[in-house]
Amino acid sequence: MAAPTVLRRQLFPLARILSGLSHLKPRSLTVCSGHRRCAVSRFPPPLTPSASFHTATPLSSSASSAVSVHQITVTEEPDVLFQKVLVLVKSHDRAVLDSYEFFATTAAQELGITVGKVFEPQKDIERVTLLKSVHIFKNHRVQYEMRTHFRCIELSHITGSTAKVYLEYVQRNLPEGVAMEVTKTAMEKVPDHILKPMWEDLPADDKPSQ
Amino acid sequence: MASRTSKALLSLGRINVSALGLNNAVNRITYSTALSIDSNSGNKDAPARGGRGYKRPRREEGAPRTENMPVDQDWTAVYPAAKTFRPSSIPLPVRMGYPVKGGAPPEKKGNLELIKIPNFLHLTPAAIKKHCEALKPFCTEWPSALDTDAKCDEHFPIKVESTDYVSAGLSVRNPSARIVHLKVKLSTLNLDEHARKKMLKLVGERYCEDTDILTITADSCPLRQQNYDYSMYLLTVLYHESWKTEAWEAEKTVADMEEYSWEGSPSQKNVLDMLVRMKVAGEGEGEEVREQLLGRSEVQEYKDSVTRLKNEGENESSMLQYKEAVKKVFNL
Repeated sequence: MAAPTVLRRQLFPLARILSGLSHLKPRSLTVCSGHRRCAVSRFPPPLTPSASFHTATPLSSSASSAVSVHQITVTEEPDVLFQKVLVLVKSHDRAVLDSYEFFATTAAQELGITVGKVFEPQKDIERVTLLKSVHIFKNHRVQYEMRTHFRCIELSHITGSTAKVYLEYVQRNLPEGVAMEVTKTAMEKVPDHILKPMWEDLPADDKPSQ
Repeated sequence: MASRTSKALLSLGRINVSALGLNNAVNRITYSTALSIDSNSGNKDAPARGGRGYKRPRREEGAPRTENMPVDQDWTAVYPAAKTFRPSSIPLPVRMGYPVKGGAPPEKKGNLELIKIPNFLHLTPAAIKKHCEALKPFCTEWPSALDTDAKCDEHFPIKVESTDYVSAGLSVRNPSARIVHLKVKLSTLNLDEHARKKMLKLVGERYCEDTDILTITADSCPLRQQNYDYSMYLLTVLYHESWKTEAWEAEKTVADMEEYSWEGSPSQKNVLDMLVRMKVAGEGEGEEVREQLLGRSEVQEYKDSVTRLKNEGENESSMLQYKEAVKKVFNL
């Protein structure tokens, strides 16, 4: 449902010029030049994750391969368990971070992820004082500052697959000018070789004397 | 003159097509003639066709799309992906910018501020719901048995921390992403007293006494996987080495000891000497008298108070305890 509408939007301006056609059949898609998505002749099924959200940058891998529900693979290897996933976003604009926080927390709730605390670390201002003139005039300076605002979202008790899905979704929708740091704390069992010292099993071992 | 116009008339065949009104999409070569046919250039008086200031006549813009948008339309279909703000496509009366004196901020038409700022129109709650519905099949559930942190720590005591970085730049890589921190509580490992003390000596600064957590930070390898493997290897080596007892460990002096122990210390010698001289246990010298004195409760209390002072440091309660113990020893 999203993909055909996108195509329709792309082709509307052209349609007005050509002859004012409101409905375009797939074969007329070849008329529009330059856009890769127009080359798709069959419309993918509506429930396709890659087709329902795409980035501004033309990544071919997500656009051309339409992953359907049948292609989910379940492997036998155990899932990684994350006790805590800390998502820190940085930007020069606080309003953008407000909107992004709403988006990220809503997405987490929809996917069933427990959101811990969402807080705002203090902003960081970097100030620079430079000479105003190219040559001499030392007493006349100009000052610039760069403000970095932060927002921290803490997610707890999240599995590896869910974390991958959520982080990819949230990172693909990162607005321009926003950076992100994700700190993941994975939990693991004590490995088998640390359960007991190996010296008990070796009957006669020469301890190397240092 | 006439010949020129006749030549122009021959070349007019092409221009006739453009006169039908489809001239904008059609990139034809327009010949400069004295005849001007099209009615569109009514507003351009001085520069005629071919003049230096000639601008192609601008097509009239139609009504903005917002007028034809129904109120109950599917917004996720209108805005499926991130797009810059286009005022004629968004049916909201948004205003942005510094307000005119005594007036409102500038309207959305032609507003650069609205174009510059990233918008979230493609991420309305309805759109997020749809996306998450499509993403749900790829998620797995957290095991219900591990609902509290205490249970997690009990079954999975080793914590591996690493950081990923996302930012715009010439490269997606960030060298700080290779750093791995491995945290483990020593109480969860199978260590006896000697092994624990040796482990603490081997590890040094990496151990925090308050939380009983050993932190191994690995950043010497270029890849995260390598750093993780190295940190696990380090943990394994530390564990096994701390269970070993080397020959030179027998040379451990009092200065190497982690805790204060009263037996064999100058404090024990002093108090026993003093009590013998005070003739508390009656006449007699020798080992039996000392052992007898050691068995006394005052001496035991004194021992406890001194050990506590040395290990915990000086605070109110420990000083009071020492005072009481000394008074009892001297029978004051």
